Amino acid sequence: MTVFRTFLKVLNKCKVPIIMYTVMLIFFGGFNMQTSENSTNFVASKPDILIINQDKEEGITKNLINYIEENSKIIEIKNDEEAINDALFYRDVNYIIYIPENYRQDFLDGKNPEIKIKSTGDYQASLAEMMLERYIKVANTYQKNINSEQEIINKINETLSKETQVQITSKLDTNNLKKATFYYNFTNYSILAGCVYVICLILSSFKEEKIAKRTIISSMNYKKYNRHLLLSNSLFAMVLWIFYVLLSFILVGNVMFTEHGLIYIANSFVFNICAVTIAILIGNLVNNKNAINGIVNVVALGSSFLCGAFVPMEWLPDSVLKIAHILPSYYFISSNEMITGLEVVNFEGMRPILFNMGIILIFTIVFVLINNIVSKKKRKIG
Amino acid sequence: MFIHNLKYAIKTLFRDKMLIFWTFAFPIILGTFFNMAFSNIENSEKLEIIDIAIVNNEEFKNNEIYKDTFKTLSDENSEDRLFNTQYVTEEKAKELLENDEISGYLLLENETPKIIVTTSGINETILKTVTEEITQTSEIVKSISESEIKKQMAAGNYKIDYEKIYKEIIEKTQKEEAKITNISNKNLSYTMIEFYTLISMACLYGGILGMVAINQNLANMSNNGKRISVAPTSKGKVIFSSVIASYIAQIIGLSLLFIYTIFVLKVDYGTNLPLVILLGMVGSFAGLSMGLAVGTVLKANEGMKTGILISITMLGCFLSGMMGITMKYIIDKNVPIINKLNPASMITDGLYSLYYYDTLDRYFFNITSLLIFAFVMIGISIFSLRRQKFEKL
Repeated sequence: MTVFRTFLKVLNKCKVPIIMYTVMLIFFGGFNMQTSENSTNFVASKPDILIINQDKEEGITKNLINYIEENSKIIEIKNDEEAINDALFYRDVNYIIYIPENYRQDFLDGKNPEIKIKSTGDYQASLAEMMLERYIKVANTYQKNINSEQEIINKINETLSKETQVQITSKLDTNNLKKATFYYNFTNYSILAGCVYVICLILSSFKEEKIAKRTIISSMNYKKYNRHLLLSNSLFAMVLWIFYVLLSFILVGNVMFTEHGLIYIANSFVFNICAVTIAILIGNLVNNKNAINGIVNVVALGSSFLCGAFVPMEWLPDSVLKIAHILPSYYFISSNEMITGLEVVNFEGMRPILFNMGIILIFTIVFVLINNIVSKKKRKIG
Repeated sequence: MFIHNLKYAIKTLFRDKMLIFWTFAFPIILGTFFNMAFSNIENSEKLEIIDIAIVNNEEFKNNEIYKDTFKTLSDENSEDRLFNTQYVTEEKAKELLENDEISGYLLLENETPKIIVTTSGINETILKTVTEEITQTSEIVKSISESEIKKQMAAGNYKIDYEKIYKEIIEKTQKEEAKITNISNKNLSYTMIEFYTLISMACLYGGILGMVAINQNLANMSNNGKRISVAPTSKGKVIFSSVIASYIAQIIGLSLLFIYTIFVLKVDYGTNLPLVILLGMVGSFAGLSMGLAVGTVLKANEGMKTGILISITMLGCFLSGMMGITMKYIIDKNVPIINKLNPASMITDGLYSLYYYDTLDRYFFNITSLLIFAFVMIGISIFSLRRQKFEKL
């Protein structure tokens, strides 16, 4: 009990960082959780477009604007070139269309007026450009063959309204699963940072020379002492894990109550055990309390950045992912990614995930072994 | 005295390992992480060649428009290549889709195209858009040729060459070009902001150096300070030399970071290097002044002061986009006043304006703001340092 009480005392001292890691998890987890409809119907992607119309909003100009509005998300930005440029740089809009003055008349005169655009060059912008190009081509073709403006407009709209039927085969609620994956990927940082910070701080507090000497000469059996220390650390890690799991039920919602949710939880549990052993190993290696903060940042941030906890794995360069193979986080996160695509939960589909869990457990055993060697060498106090 | 103290102040700063870790090594380490994580983001946002399949049934084989269009769009030698198309049976297409090897497949049945996909997404939308374009083009051809035929009939011409009319119209529609000119700025790489926030972090972390240096001179903070305060030397000189020492240390750290980001991480600061350096120096000065203010005004121990400086810096960097670039934009757009007062944002925005804008108004606005911030902080520090007296400590 003495050990546990001391443990709680030290824990109380480091509540601020723990709260901070959790707030970050909620913030970034929640940030990405904007409600998206769970739909099994096809929803076309809509690029964010800004239209700057320098012409009068009439006739063909109006029709062009209507068409773009229907097929994209129109973003409102105050008409100031600097604000517009900022919006483009920060990807608030993907595509800006400047409809020139006198566009309607020039178009009807067959001049094929030039349209200026600004584009972020990403796929949303490419899609926007495809749309705009298609409209102009269709419009130009009709303009050459039909005289009346109204008729051109009718023809354009008739043509462009021909939609292709799309069928979705998967019944998987990928949107919500992606949310869960994002959340659990982020817990890689929170769990690692939380465990390493707290456990290192606690171990180094217990290892402070004066305290260590007192503990050694006390009547308490060192095995019991070690056991209590290990138990309290594991207890803390479990509480942290349960807390994050509960949080996921609130933030992610329904998906967590399915079989998929269970796999996420199991996966994070395995990783949590590994995190504890990492933390204990580091705690045994480091004696300087001041250094802990630096180490936490390097270990937790490093493995989170390298393994795709913040930036999705598919966006990481291959070379980085190759290096990431030496870290347990990689297997944790890649399992999470696999769960998103898991159509049916059966042994066959689960095999790669179980394999990853196995690797994480091997890591755990390796850390325990190294830890034994290290602590054996460090047992004597000069 | 000045030189003497300067020398020892620098030595003390460089001997403090934790201090050097946070101010010198940490930004470099973080920058390396950023580079690993973000270097590929923008490339992966570009439109890639989409893997699709087409069910190669009789109907598709007989439909020239579909066949030609997909052939052109899947041409390996073309710059406008959109698709990597496999022509397969329906069973095979289903299998490919299930194994995630393709984004979707096209099935042409009873003259209607149908697209089968697993999820909604951008690749799927593009496949849909292209298919629609084909349907619409055939629609146009049909509609225009009909009216053309009517016209010719009305003109009394009954020997109509349908083939020829079709061909002409198809050619015409294909020749149709949209005149679209891209006038956007070339420098659109938004991940650069991450590295700019890194520079602001390094500048402001320099404040810790300033704070530690000045603590050496404060009687209520260190034994060293007690000795200095009873020594018969000008306090101003001693403090000033400590401040200069920490500024030198800060500039060394920042130069290392700049060298590392430019030559190893290949961060693009735009073309105007002297102005980037000026911003770095003014930014460090602002960081230093903040460190001095925190160091002199607060009556707390060094750990507490470091904690406060780190929190202010991290909060500032968070608001200027370090943990998510959109954050800076959201603040700039909705509550601009916050980032006009936030030194981290002034530095980030200054670098951003040099990179993205051709004009320098915004840059100089940021430089001026930083200088005002720095002088206010220094004013506060001088005010609280003046005529400091202790009866007992």
